[in-house]
Amino acid sequence: MARPTSLTGLFLFVACLLSSGLSVAAAFQAEIVDQDGKPLPNVVMTLQGDAPPPVFSLKADMDQRDKQYDPHVLAVHTGTQIRFPNSDNIRHQVYSFSTPKRFELRLYEGTPSDPVLFDKPGIVVLGCNIHDWMLGYVYVTDDPWFAVSDKKGLIRFDKLPAGRYHVTLWHPQVADMLPQPGGEIGVSATDLKQRFSLSIQPLSPDAPAAPAPSTFGDAFNKAVSETAK
Amino acid sequence: MPSIKLSVKLRSSFQARVACVLILLLLVVVGALYFSVKAATNSAIRSQAAEQLQLGTRVFERLLDVQSRRLSDGVQLLAADFGFRDAVASGDSATIRSVLINHGKRINATDMILLSMDGKVLASTLDETPEGSQFRYDHALREARRARQSTLIVPLQGQPHLLVEAPVLAPLPIARVVMGFSMDTAFARELRSLSNLEVSFLTVDMQQPGQLVSTQPPAMAQSLERLMLTNATKHIQELTEYEQHSFLSKTLMLASTADENDNQVIALLQSPLDAAMQAFAPLDQNILFIALISLLASLIGALLLARSVSQPVRALAQAAERIGQGDYQTPVPLKRSDELGLLATAFNSMQSGIAEREQQLAHNALHDGLTGLPNRALAMERLGSAISAGRPVALVYLEIDNLRAISEAGGPEAVDLMLQQVGQRLPTALRAGDTVAHLIGGEFLLLLHNTASDGAVATADKLQQLLLKPQRIAGHDVALDCRMGIAAFPEDGLAAEELLGRAAIAMKDAEQIPGRIQIYEQGRDLAHRRQVTLIRDLRHAAANGELLLHYQPKLDIRQGRVRQAEALLRWQHPQFGMVSPAEFIVLAERTGSIQILTQWVIEEGVRQLSEWNQRGLRLQLSLNISAEDLLGPDLTDRVSALLKHYRLPAEQLIFEITESAVMREPEQALKVLHRLRECGISLSVDDFGTGYSSLAHLKRLPVQELKIDQSFVRDLDETSEDAVIVRSTIEMSHNLGLKVVAEGVEYAHSLRLLERWHCDTAQGYLISRPLTAAAFEAWVALPLGSPSVMVH
Repeated sequence: MARPTSLTGLFLFVACLLSSGLSVAAAFQAEIVDQDGKPLPNVVMTLQGDAPPPVFSLKADMDQRDKQYDPHVLAVHTGTQIRFPNSDNIRHQVYSFSTPKRFELRLYEGTPSDPVLFDKPGIVVLGCNIHDWMLGYVYVTDDPWFAVSDKKGLIRFDKLPAGRYHVTLWHPQVADMLPQPGGEIGVSATDLKQRFSLSIQPLSPDAPAAPAPSTFGDAFNKAVSETAK
Repeated sequence: MPSIKLSVKLRSSFQARVACVLILLLLVVVGALYFSVKAATNSAIRSQAAEQLQLGTRVFERLLDVQSRRLSDGVQLLAADFGFRDAVASGDSATIRSVLINHGKRINATDMILLSMDGKVLASTLDETPEGSQFRYDHALREARRARQSTLIVPLQGQPHLLVEAPVLAPLPIARVVMGFSMDTAFARELRSLSNLEVSFLTVDMQQPGQLVSTQPPAMAQSLERLMLTNATKHIQELTEYEQHSFLSKTLMLASTADENDNQVIALLQSPLDAAMQAFAPLDQNILFIALISLLASLIGALLLARSVSQPVRALAQAAERIGQGDYQTPVPLKRSDELGLLATAFNSMQSGIAEREQQLAHNALHDGLTGLPNRALAMERLGSAISAGRPVALVYLEIDNLRAISEAGGPEAVDLMLQQVGQRLPTALRAGDTVAHLIGGEFLLLLHNTASDGAVATADKLQQLLLKPQRIAGHDVALDCRMGIAAFPEDGLAAEELLGRAAIAMKDAEQIPGRIQIYEQGRDLAHRRQVTLIRDLRHAAANGELLLHYQPKLDIRQGRVRQAEALLRWQHPQFGMVSPAEFIVLAERTGSIQILTQWVIEEGVRQLSEWNQRGLRLQLSLNISAEDLLGPDLTDRVSALLKHYRLPAEQLIFEITESAVMREPEQALKVLHRLRECGISLSVDDFGTGYSSLAHLKRLPVQELKIDQSFVRDLDETSEDAVIVRSTIEMSHNLGLKVVAEGVEYAHSLRLLERWHCDTAQGYLISRPLTAAAFEAWVALPLGSPSVMVH
């Protein structure tokens, strides 16, 4: 999971390098914790400011590995084409009923030929039709700066032009899955470190979980219900 | 002899009683058996049903659980259907409703509701849950989910429903689909087929009971509903009955909320007892059958047993009655070896014993023990039968007179021997059909059939001669004196007792006549009866004031004056009137009443004398004293006391004593006479000439007077033999210093003769008949004329 982050960072870094000639830039590191003060991974942070937007790639990958989406949360800019490679040796059927992007990739193996264009901002929840517990989130944003917190709850923007930015935070478990305003930050020539706290909700009990090792009873029940069907 | 009531009533008969007791006992046993079996089977049925109910309840719960889970799984699968999720995620309500209906049908859900995550109805096939409203069971569903209950049972539209909820994942839960399954009759039947219990469901929604779902027939719906509503909260088993069907019932509360919704779903499980009871019905039938058979068998057995006892008992009772009625001939026909047989044998021997003894008794009752002759009863019976047949018959009443002499000579044994011999000899003189009966002592009664009085006299004479022949008894030669009285039917009477009485009277009369055989004379029994009455009344005559004294003057011939009188007793009988002394004095002497009479006579005479003395009439009064008076102990004392009492001189009294009275016990009589004489009372010998007294004897008596019996005086004339006797008696008496009184002087020439012969005193009708006291007083007061004048 470190790789995409560092990759994003690389993009950002490149973007910073490109704009460094024009203005002063500094690194901004955000530490995000939950309401209990624990580091919170998978938090999407977007920044909006007056500074000219950086250059960012409009291509991204959402891998499926060990019957999980990888990464769990993917933040992309509006108009990004996302590929859904399948690293498992079984088939998956990726779908989404989310309003920003409804789509379905029929059972497939490997990497499908066409990427999926996410052309509307919003949150797209990904599921797999044959693995109910497989959940992935694509956060499609219009903001130029965006990143996802790592396992330690850290987000780092290396060359952020000085200026003021509106911070928006989001996590799959925030209330009603609505992006939360994170306040404003002012970036000057010096590096900035700031701690954000985001209150999240416990995982919904309705959310499907990976099946536990099956007992005979369950198997029997399943068989019965399937026969009944 | 009261006859035994043989027609024994069935109710009280031994047979019926034995049968009753046996049957009652058997009934008790069978009843006890039946009820204990019934109780045991009932409790077995109950416990079996209870077990079945318990088991069925578990099965029911399990079934409900399985069904719920099955439905839940089904619904979850359905909710996971991609098309379904796609449709739901589309947000188009028409699409959503159609997919709800479509997918609901797949699983046979009756109701489909799509809820938002916060419980709002997004789409519904139910009218009562409009879109946009809060689903009323949302809270309950959440609770159920939290409790990991796969389904929720709720009342919905008046029927119980299984509600199953599943989240719609897209892939996050975006909605909840709720499917309702009606717990309808088919469902209940399915449960019944598996649990073997009758299943009923009832909902209570807003305190309003819904429609009953039941596997029971609709007729029971109302009572089932009532039962479920009352027992909803009690988890007990109880026995319920509906018209011949009984169940063990248990209510289960499947769902109950106490909130504003206030709904309940109640299940009633019932284990039918009928089936179990049916299993025991053959047993009941068998018991009944066995009971009936054994009752019948025991009834027959009891009747046979009782019969085997009661029949011989009845036969014995009949035999006893027969014996009671005097039939001793018919034996009891009972050939048995048991106790009853013994009894029958005893009956037979008793019967013959009784017969023998009765014969003996009958013989004894009708025969004389000593002579073996018929007794009075038998003789009377034979007489009675002769009378009723109208056959002439003569009775000869025979009495042997010299019985006492034989007894004195040979003792009582001799008398018995003599009587036995007489008993043997008498019949020999009679015809074959005649009867000789021994009555008592020396008395025999002979019944001579077809014989009149004359014939009887001939026979009686023959018998008399026969008995007069001397016989040797106990070493003595004895000739028997006997007298006989004869009465004949029909001449002398028509009744047996009357005839016997008359024969007896005739026999008594025979004593007086030389031939000593007397035929009954008409009216003799009347005289006899008069005698008996007189004898009876004599004893009370004095006390009743029926006696009175008449006075007959005694004329002093030489002086021609009356200075003496004889008191003569008269009896005014209330029935017969004046009774002659000749009649009643004899009776009084014979029956011992004479002393009473004499006592009265003495007292009355003394009293009268004393009365006359006071009036100046001084007389000497003669009173008759009987032999009994003379021999009595206290005559002298009594007379002395009387004289003293009336202050009368003893010289005014003369006691007349007959010769025979003195002759009976001369010594004793003499003693009394001397004492009387010492008192001053004069003594006179009455009826002189009729007895056997000698002059020598007369000389020893302290008498002053002698009365010549009237039989010598009455027809006295100069030439008769009486004249010699009278004249010599007078002379002799005068020589002895005695005065002479002549009684029965009726004619003047007699008086003249007496006067010539110097007789002292005359008494008789010529002078005066006996007069009452008053008349006598008046007579004495008349101017005294000569006796001849008086005669004329």
